[in-house]
Amino acid sequence: MTWLLAIPLLPALAFALLAPLPRVTRNALRWVPAVAMAGSLAGALAAFAMVLRSGGGDQPIYHTSFAIATIGGKALDVGIQLDAVAAIMLLVVTIVGMCVQVYSLGYMHRDGRVGWYFAVLSLFSAAMLGLVLASDFLLLYMCWEVMGLCSYLLIGFWHTQEAPRMASIKAFLTTRVGDVGFAIALAIMYASVGSFGFAAVLHGYSWTPALATAVSLLLLFGAMGKSAQVPLHVWLPDAMAGPTPASALIHAATMVAAGVYLVARAMPLFEISQVALTVTLVVGTGTALLGALLATVQHDIKKVLAYSTISQLGYMFIALGTGSAVAGLFHLMTHAFFKSLLFLGAGVIIHAVHTQDMREMGGLRKLLPWTTAAFTAGALALAGVFPFSGFWSKDEILVSLWSGGHYVVFALALFAAFLTAFYMTRLWFRVFAGPAQKPEVREAHVEMIVPMVLLAGISLVVGFASPFFATFLGEHGGWPDIMMAVGSSAVATSGIVAGWWVFGKKAVDTEALKARFPHLYGIFDNKFYFDRTYEFVFVNAYNRLSDALWTFDTKVIDGAVDGFGHAWSAVAGGSWTFDAKVIDGAVMGLASTVTWIGARVRRLQAGRVQTYQRLVMAAVILLVLWIALKGA
Amino acid sequence: MSYLLTTIVFLPLAAAVICAMLPKDLAGAAKWVAATVMAFDVTLVGWLLATFDVRGGVQAVVDIPWVPQIAIRYHLGADGISLAMLALSALLGLIAVVASWKMDKSPGTYFVMLMLLQVGMNGVFVALDLVLFYVFWELVLVPMYFLIAMWGGERRSYASLKFFLYTLAGSVFMLVGIIALYLYSGPNNTFDIAELVRASAGGAFNGIQGWLFLAFFLGFAVKVPIWPLHTWLPDAHVEAPTAASVLLAGVLLKMGTYGFIRIALPILPVAAKAWAPWIAALAVISIVYGASVAFAQTDVKKLIAYSSVSHMGFVMLGIASGTAAGLDGAVAVMVSHGLVTGLLFLMVGMVYERTHTRQIAELSGLSSQVPAIGGILAFASFASLGLPGLSGFVGEFLSLLGSWQSTLVPHWMTVVAAVGVMLAAAYMLWMVQRVVLGEASEAVSRISDITAREVAYVLPLIGLTVLVGVYWNSLLRFVDPAVQGIVTILARVV
Repeated sequence: MTWLLAIPLLPALAFALLAPLPRVTRNALRWVPAVAMAGSLAGALAAFAMVLRSGGGDQPIYHTSFAIATIGGKALDVGIQLDAVAAIMLLVVTIVGMCVQVYSLGYMHRDGRVGWYFAVLSLFSAAMLGLVLASDFLLLYMCWEVMGLCSYLLIGFWHTQEAPRMASIKAFLTTRVGDVGFAIALAIMYASVGSFGFAAVLHGYSWTPALATAVSLLLLFGAMGKSAQVPLHVWLPDAMAGPTPASALIHAATMVAAGVYLVARAMPLFEISQVALTVTLVVGTGTALLGALLATVQHDIKKVLAYSTISQLGYMFIALGTGSAVAGLFHLMTHAFFKSLLFLGAGVIIHAVHTQDMREMGGLRKLLPWTTAAFTAGALALAGVFPFSGFWSKDEILVSLWSGGHYVVFALALFAAFLTAFYMTRLWFRVFAGPAQKPEVREAHVEMIVPMVLLAGISLVVGFASPFFATFLGEHGGWPDIMMAVGSSAVATSGIVAGWWVFGKKAVDTEALKARFPHLYGIFDNKFYFDRTYEFVFVNAYNRLSDALWTFDTKVIDGAVDGFGHAWSAVAGGSWTFDAKVIDGAVMGLASTVTWIGARVRRLQAGRVQTYQRLVMAAVILLVLWIALKGA
Repeated sequence: MSYLLTTIVFLPLAAAVICAMLPKDLAGAAKWVAATVMAFDVTLVGWLLATFDVRGGVQAVVDIPWVPQIAIRYHLGADGISLAMLALSALLGLIAVVASWKMDKSPGTYFVMLMLLQVGMNGVFVALDLVLFYVFWELVLVPMYFLIAMWGGERRSYASLKFFLYTLAGSVFMLVGIIALYLYSGPNNTFDIAELVRASAGGAFNGIQGWLFLAFFLGFAVKVPIWPLHTWLPDAHVEAPTAASVLLAGVLLKMGTYGFIRIALPILPVAAKAWAPWIAALAVISIVYGASVAFAQTDVKKLIAYSSVSHMGFVMLGIASGTAAGLDGAVAVMVSHGLVTGLLFLMVGMVYERTHTRQIAELSGLSSQVPAIGGILAFASFASLGLPGLSGFVGEFLSLLGSWQSTLVPHWMTVVAAVGVMLAAAYMLWMVQRVVLGEASEAVSRISDITAREVAYVLPLIGLTVLVGVYWNSLLRFVDPAVQGIVTILARVV
């Protein structure tokens, strides 16, 4: 089954082919990554079929590794493996990836650097596919970082504008803060286990609870960066400055879910350390609420979706915090489909009306019928309405919260679910309902419609896989509890009704509310002050520190060096003074450089150096004598 | 076989002699002489690489008396670490020649200096006798001094003298150490490294290892450079012509860390272990300090110079760890930093040739105007900030693993070093942000993109950066067996 390697390697080759080409050729070959992706999709389907035939479970059906390095005579292996989790992730990534590639052919076709866009998209796909196939934390980490690079490149794709440029560096650095934790976790694994393999680290070593807690928390920190969990979430809303289909793939469906995948993989370690599970639960809950709250006040359609993504990722972390990797991964899967659908829909809308501000939209229902239908399916899935997929996956999370006795978190999660339905209804009415503001709008091309319809179809039916999903991963599965289903449906419905009440029926004047509670609105408007705080505490402080250290370097350290030179020349005396020749010489040199010809420089400098060298040699001899005498 | 290393080391001397004898009106031919000889040199090193037995210890040995009265020997040989450094030195040497193709200011003398420098650089990494080592070490100093002093920028006079005196002051201490080792090495006094290692194991330097280590430490630390002995570096880098910067960062700095690995650790293992926490502390300071000061720079070349201080900190951290992972990592950073920083300086040199500025504020939007130059500069930046899949990651990661694993380095230092990796991303991306991205600035708006000759000399560096980054063993298969020997020596002492 070495052919599994082709799944990540095909898109990697597509990148390697396109990257060095000149722009024009690259643009002409923009279809190559789509072809490569189709190959990966076929491979993922075959891999899924094989795992299905073997009955799934938590044991890999294939594993191969090779020594990337030899350290102290011991091989350091990286490898790939195929198990049920990997098979599902492969399918998710290749399906969404394929949809985004095809959609992008339509969406990006007018861009002058479309070839580069597709090349990076392809490299990203390769890294993400490598990540889910990895059988060890090292290869996972390497792919993880390469995804970060692609994310950086795509966020900053339109780099001649200020906002994408700043957003890209912010994204890279914020996620790298988390990666410091990940890297140290790897160091601990290496020092303790001597290997990075999943099997060895998770099952082949008896961790002390303290060390397990340390490693789990460090991995969690890495995951929080990548998956935009509070307090490392600040980069994701800004990342929306990138092309919308890239947001759909990277910042909604796949890369940002890699943190969830990492924690799910490392679940045996988290289970040894109950502390880490609790922290995961708290982080997830905070993120789910914060994301949902902020999504309700955004005017930029992509920002609504971005905060929604943050919130839903928080939901996945809640699932992981209850110890249920299955519930987390299931929500990861359903979310990948419906959220990428929503982003693709948003892309059509943005192209059609040439704005991202929802206040300038409205009435698109009649003008964009296909997009409206597909988007609505995605919105219903996100809101958790039966029978759409989000209903099923959210239910599983709520069930595991309830059965785990986490009643407070359960209540908060329900509230977040209510908010989710509410802000999606708000978005829907703002964008699709009401009178059309721009009647000249036209529906998108077929290569953009088809992927959306496909994703909508998946979002409609994939939830019914819920009981089989758990069995496939080797856990107990079943249909959702009827009481829970009724309860969560009631919450979702009330959210939708509330949204309709405010934004459909316009029974509440939102502007008046803003005026009534200016402070509260200020807090929301400033995104709970995370960015401001970081700007002040970290960015400005580091700027000042770095300037101060530079001054220290030139004034104090270098001052001491020059001072030492002065002192020595004063002590040594001689026919010239260090001061006049070197220090002043340097200053005067600025003016007289022009007249200094090479020969003169050579003669003068060489003379000085020899004099100096003689002095130094005298010192050496004295020192040697001293040491020799001391020894004797 | 026994003439191979001698040929590799001294072939550039032949080129220097020919270049020096060229009549003035034929000075333009000097570059052809240098390029031909260096191409041949690189080929020989390639042949050595191809025929090298990775498990065979020190190879291509030549060992004959030189000054028999005081037991100085002409002793050359290469183990995996030597070979890696020799290959780096020869490759960067060839690239430096090709990158200097348009040198029109006394080209004859220029290439004489470049070739003399090459002799010293090659020799240092294969010398197995301390006096011979010292001779090559000092031989490097003089041509580099002239390269900066004669072909440098505005403050070349100050920078070159500072470089010379600073390094000389350091190597004086090293000379003291060498003589002391000789005096204490027992009844059959010796300068031979292998014999000194044996003498050390026999207890010859017990009680004075600390002092001897201090002497070597000062000599090597200046060259590395370790904070706070680093301030000659930014000046020398900024003033040096492009080719000299490439060799200075790519090869000369590694002589210091190589000295630790080849001499200080195996001969003085007790002191090396006792000093390890302090060296690690200085290494960690170098990492964070270098990265922070790099962040404040307004001159691209100075930024890269300070980034070198930071990167060399990872080498020292790996060395201080005394573990196989750490030492493998140290050598990997040495090689990678040579490739990547070499590439960075070459790219900055290309930009400077075209725009006549290195000021970040005046450069912007390279990728808009010259996508190839901008793209390769960005590539090098990502390699430098330690992106997995490129060579920079390998060494820094292993260095972190090794220092965490080591009982000699406190864990918190490893954590701080890991933060340093993040800071590297900050200064590198912030540079890319301003120089590579955005709309083309006035200085950039009329320049032309990379030429075929320029592609030719950056391509090997790009290729090796990817190769080492993807398949670590392409480098470590040579390095690791040699590292194991040092780890064994360190493990024997308490």
